[in-house]
Amino acid sequence: MDALDVLDLIWLVPTLPAIGAVVLLLFGKRIGEPKSGYLATSLMALSFLGSVAAFFALGSLGSEERHHVYNWFTWISSIGKNSDFTVSFGFLADPLSITMILFVTGISTLIHLYAIGYMARDPRFSRFFAYLNLFAASMLVLVLGSSFLMTFMGWEGVGLCSYLLISFWFERNSAAVAGKKAFVTNRVGDFGFMIAMFLIFSKLGSLDYATALPAAPGLSQGTITAIALLLFVGAMGKSAQFPLHIWLPDAMEGPTPVSALIHAATMVTAGVFLVSRAHVFFDLGGSANDVVAWIGAITALGAATIAIRQNDIKRVLAYSTLSQLGYMFLAVGVGSYSAALFHMVTHAFFKALLFLGAGSVIHGMHHEQDMRRMGGLKRAMPITAGTFIIGWLAIAGVPPFAGFWSKDEILAKAWFSDVAGGKALWAIGLVAALLTAFYMSRQVWLVFFGNARYDSEGDHAVNPHESPMTMVLPLVVLSGLSIVGGFLSLPFTSPNLEFLVRWLEPSLEGASHIEASSFGLGFALSVGAIVIGITGIAIGRRVYSGGLAEDGTDPVETRLAGFGKVLENAYYIDAGIAKAVSGPLTGAANFLTDTVDRRLIDGAVNGTGRAFKELGGGLRRVQTGRVRSYALGIMLGAVALLGWFATRVDF
Amino acid sequence: MNDYLPLVGMIALVIVFVLASFVASILLGPRNPNSAKQAAYECGIVPESEPAERFPVKFFLVAMSFIVLDVEIVFLYPFAMVMRGLGVFGLVAITIFVLVLLIPFAYLLSVGALAWGPVAQVIREIVPVRRTSVAVLDPALTEGTTGQAA
Amino acid sequence: MLALFTQPIDAARMIAVPKIDWLAIGPPVVLFTAALAIVLLASLLRGRSLQHDLDDWVVLCAFAGPIEFWLGRFSAIRYNHDVFSIIVMLAGIGSVAFAMGVSIVRKHTFAASLVIALAGVISAVAITVAQWNVVRTSGSFTSMAGAVAVDGMAVFVMGVVLVATVFGLLLGTSWIRREQLEGPEFLALLLLCATGMLVMASANDLIVVFVALEVFSIALYVMTAFDRHRIESQEAGLKYFLLGAFSSAIFLYGVALTYGATGSTNLVTIRESLTGLVGGDNGLLMVGFALMLVGLGFKVAAAPFHMWTPDVYQGAPTPVTAFMAGATKVAAFGALLRIFVGSFDLLQTDWRPAVYGLAIVSMIVGSVAAIVQTDVKRMLAYSSIAHAGYVLIGVQVATESNGGLGGTSAALFYLGIYMLMAVGAFAVIQVVGRARETDSSLDDYKGLARKEPVLAGLLTLFLLAQAGVPLTAGFVAKLTVFKAAVDAGQFQIALIGMLSATVAAFVYLRIVLSMYSGDEHGSATPVEGNRLTVDLPVRITISLTAALVLLFGVVPGWLLDVAEHATSILAG
Repeated sequence: MDALDVLDLIWLVPTLPAIGAVVLLLFGKRIGEPKSGYLATSLMALSFLGSVAAFFALGSLGSEERHHVYNWFTWISSIGKNSDFTVSFGFLADPLSITMILFVTGISTLIHLYAIGYMARDPRFSRFFAYLNLFAASMLVLVLGSSFLMTFMGWEGVGLCSYLLISFWFERNSAAVAGKKAFVTNRVGDFGFMIAMFLIFSKLGSLDYATALPAAPGLSQGTITAIALLLFVGAMGKSAQFPLHIWLPDAMEGPTPVSALIHAATMVTAGVFLVSRAHVFFDLGGSANDVVAWIGAITALGAATIAIRQNDIKRVLAYSTLSQLGYMFLAVGVGSYSAALFHMVTHAFFKALLFLGAGSVIHGMHHEQDMRRMGGLKRAMPITAGTFIIGWLAIAGVPPFAGFWSKDEILAKAWFSDVAGGKALWAIGLVAALLTAFYMSRQVWLVFFGNARYDSEGDHAVNPHESPMTMVLPLVVLSGLSIVGGFLSLPFTSPNLEFLVRWLEPSLEGASHIEASSFGLGFALSVGAIVIGITGIAIGRRVYSGGLAEDGTDPVETRLAGFGKVLENAYYIDAGIAKAVSGPLTGAANFLTDTVDRRLIDGAVNGTGRAFKELGGGLRRVQTGRVRSYALGIMLGAVALLGWFATRVDF
Repeated sequence: MNDYLPLVGMIALVIVFVLASFVASILLGPRNPNSAKQAAYECGIVPESEPAERFPVKFFLVAMSFIVLDVEIVFLYPFAMVMRGLGVFGLVAITIFVLVLLIPFAYLLSVGALAWGPVAQVIREIVPVRRTSVAVLDPALTEGTTGQAA
Repeated sequence: MLALFTQPIDAARMIAVPKIDWLAIGPPVVLFTAALAIVLLASLLRGRSLQHDLDDWVVLCAFAGPIEFWLGRFSAIRYNHDVFSIIVMLAGIGSVAFAMGVSIVRKHTFAASLVIALAGVISAVAITVAQWNVVRTSGSFTSMAGAVAVDGMAVFVMGVVLVATVFGLLLGTSWIRREQLEGPEFLALLLLCATGMLVMASANDLIVVFVALEVFSIALYVMTAFDRHRIESQEAGLKYFLLGAFSSAIFLYGVALTYGATGSTNLVTIRESLTGLVGGDNGLLMVGFALMLVGLGFKVAAAPFHMWTPDVYQGAPTPVTAFMAGATKVAAFGALLRIFVGSFDLLQTDWRPAVYGLAIVSMIVGSVAAIVQTDVKRMLAYSSIAHAGYVLIGVQVATESNGGLGGTSAALFYLGIYMLMAVGAFAVIQVVGRARETDSSLDDYKGLARKEPVLAGLLTLFLLAQAGVPLTAGFVAKLTVFKAAVDAGQFQIALIGMLSATVAAFVYLRIVLSMYSGDEHGSATPVEGNRLTVDLPVRITISLTAALVLLFGVVPGWLLDVAEHATSILAG
């Protein structure tokens, strides 16, 4: 079997979890707990092995040949007489997609394993794993798709599954609402993606990456910029960039493994992936790049400030995810896709670790999520605490942990790029890094150190305990990855240690290379980043090392005064958007039905459909009243049509 | 458009004529109303009660059934005129046509659509008619017998 | 006596007898005969029949028997009447005859009627298959003095209508037995209605179009008002009747004006008379266009002629609603395509913008107005208006000849898929509605997922398909119409379509959300009570439609191919 034969088996990677999903949906109840969890996990693990095999197969090819498309079957064939528009159910294996599937499957496997413990004794245990598998399968289709349409299919699937998973505990109204919010916000993004797709199709005549992308430079500047911006709108939805970020913090209503899966490894990285895949449009996109970079910077800084004032252990991490995603888009905006992807990988490691650690804490604390009622947990759950601390050091940018290298890379690229305002972007990134180190330190001290603020006695006593083995094991593995993940790409060119950058090069062909103007300056920037990180930690330690006061007031709250309230409410963006969107839309709908269909008013009051029963003796009255107005409507429509056709007559 | 000019002229004439008639009657007609003249039926006899607002719906049903079957006769007449010229084809065609009308007629009988009126109602109340295929094919017979039984 | 007819008379007085092309008019004739047979049976057995008794095996025999027979028949033709095929055929006949015989002997009128109805419809399907083969091998043709056209589009539309009729019969069966209404009459009406639609699909003459329109409309009015127990049903029937009569009259006026302008009602002749004519100098024809669009727009429930739709869809018995959504739309769109795309494609600059406008208004009104509804049937009624808008996108680019996906096949494909999605969704709604169809508000769906996970899951599938989620047939359908529009350079309408689809997705989501939510102890919701009854006919319907929606979502190639070859319109 040579390398190409192995790559032809790439369809197995998404299919294995898909099979798991189908089997569990159909026979989940019969398979039962915990067997269905093991089934799902092992299929995911097999999928990971397949990804590893694909990685080696691709690696054995020369770097010029690392682009292999496997067409499984023809999905939509030959619509149209003279058109060769066909969509294959095809998978594209190239360094970018292989990188994605490696960490998607790898981290998914760990999260599956973890969920066996976390979801124990849930009445819909097998259903949960069915959704998880389906989610992973969709994500794999998204990254492996050989055309925009395949990616879009995975894209929609991911959105759907995230909806199912976020509102998995639909008994809680907040969960149901959060799921809906995620779905609708994502639809806005999808809309951008769809329009971009149609633009690409109408201008280039194909949706295949292999055909469409190389042809892109032939388009006019305006078209390219439009496509780039529309694709970015799609990416904003999935990757939760300002102002489409509102769904992500609410998505915390889902079970914690879902939060880890969505925030760390999969859904949110889809946007970064899409932009990298279609980078050609962004390379040539002109001002589109600036928009991307600045939106990224705004998100990075804004979310970091909000995170300072959150008290829910998972919401802090959610806003932190937003902030880190902002970094990635900042990198994309300055043209350094490899830095973005690098940060995406390391972020996947440490954020999955942090989320699973948070989940472990929640599990041990009997579903308590408020950090003000925690504290001093390091004695009760030593492994969780240790691994969480590794994740904390990684995200805070302390070398040699993973986060430092990738974040440093992004900041350096921002500094050295020739994008307008590159230095300003760098400064914003640096401030955000300081805030990141601070709020993460706050979290660590509030949760694991200081005074214990939970009830350890009485009726509602909480007895923190370490989590079971299936939950701890993924934590350990992920903490290992968070330590060494940074070595994937070290910023040294001789000897060339930028493994990831070199590996990704064939996929990112044509993207500009940003070189440090001098090694010394680059080194100085790195030192600056380290200092900033440590400063943040030091401030955090100073403020929170003593824990919280008895009444639970946060020292920061007093110092921020009124602004703290603004941060706590996430700048009131959610409330504002809710008001701005739902108002006019409901208004329009009401107007339509008001004038078009008057009975609705009665319907809303009395319960639709039964309204006219109360009208008593109904028939005659209802008919003479309403049918006449309906007929009038038809008449008006006819008049409108006649009006149009009258203009077509030459008298 | 020239073709339609006479049509337009015609329409205009109609409108003018109608309006003129109305105006003329208003201008020329003497008016001295009294209660007898304003009654619903201006026939000199004072009505004893207001005209009924509703008719039994069966009036309409029977009328409609009648029209449907009436059409049968209308088509049978021309067929009879050219019966020989059409040959077997005509026979088969008219048979199908009659059948299509006959089967719904059988259905009408079976649901009792044609058995109505005060007498039929009284009989039905006294002895509930049990409809059988015999009853369908000869409702008069069944109703007669049940009537006797009562 | 027969000699009277056979005896040759003076040869000069013999009248030339037309040749009847049974293949061309086969499907409606078969359905009509079946309807008559049911009426006859009902009138002969009335009074001593056990009306609603129906065994599952009878349903199976009635369903599988004719299929078996026709499969055997086709294989007999192909394999030179081998023994195996003959046996299969005989087995088919046998099972139908057995089910029929037993039902009549046991005086199960309704069961016997169902056997006749299913045998008729499935035989009609077989005839359309034969027609399809003829059209594919030797091209389209007209018959009956040019009044009936047998071409790709006619056969496709007939096929969709017939499949919808099968589902309508099955759903109706379950409903009739639940509500204890007159069974045979309902089945006969459904068959008559389908007869009209079949005639409409292949009508090649404006007069025939009108007659067919009336045939199926009148049957639909009666079926809409069929539920004597519910005043809503009566009201809906009357409303539909009044407005339908109104729109039919408008349509007929349009036909008359078109005749006046072109000198013919035959669509082929009309087209030939148009060559060399410029639309603008023909005012009569323009008015005719407008009025015919109103009439057909009413039938397909396109805005602004849609006002009856929510009331009627909600009030009508659910199987009738399903049939209306599935079949009426297809038949009316068939006529619309045949008249405007087939006959008047040369004047497309005149009518296209009008249809364009209707499409946009329909999509917007349908999806936005659905948001504030609280009744599921009403929501789907509004969504059907939006779906009409999507099909209209296909219709108005159908004359575009610059390659790519033809609008005609996109519209036809969409209609076929919509039929499946709508029938499936309404089938679930019918079950959830319970006796007297009391439960159709959003609140009644609360907690459905917990009580009836399979039903809720399938309804979710149908709704997601209607929303256009990938890997369901609805996605491919939307993709084809949008692609047709983009191919024709109409970016804006595709954009509006996608936007309205986004809004509509929210509506479907509300229903799904309602099913998957609901508090743990909501004993007030009726769903909490006794389990819903899902009998065999409904089970067949739901599982078939669900399977097809998924199948055409994953491998739509086959149906796309058929829709592709269904674009031949004789007049065009």
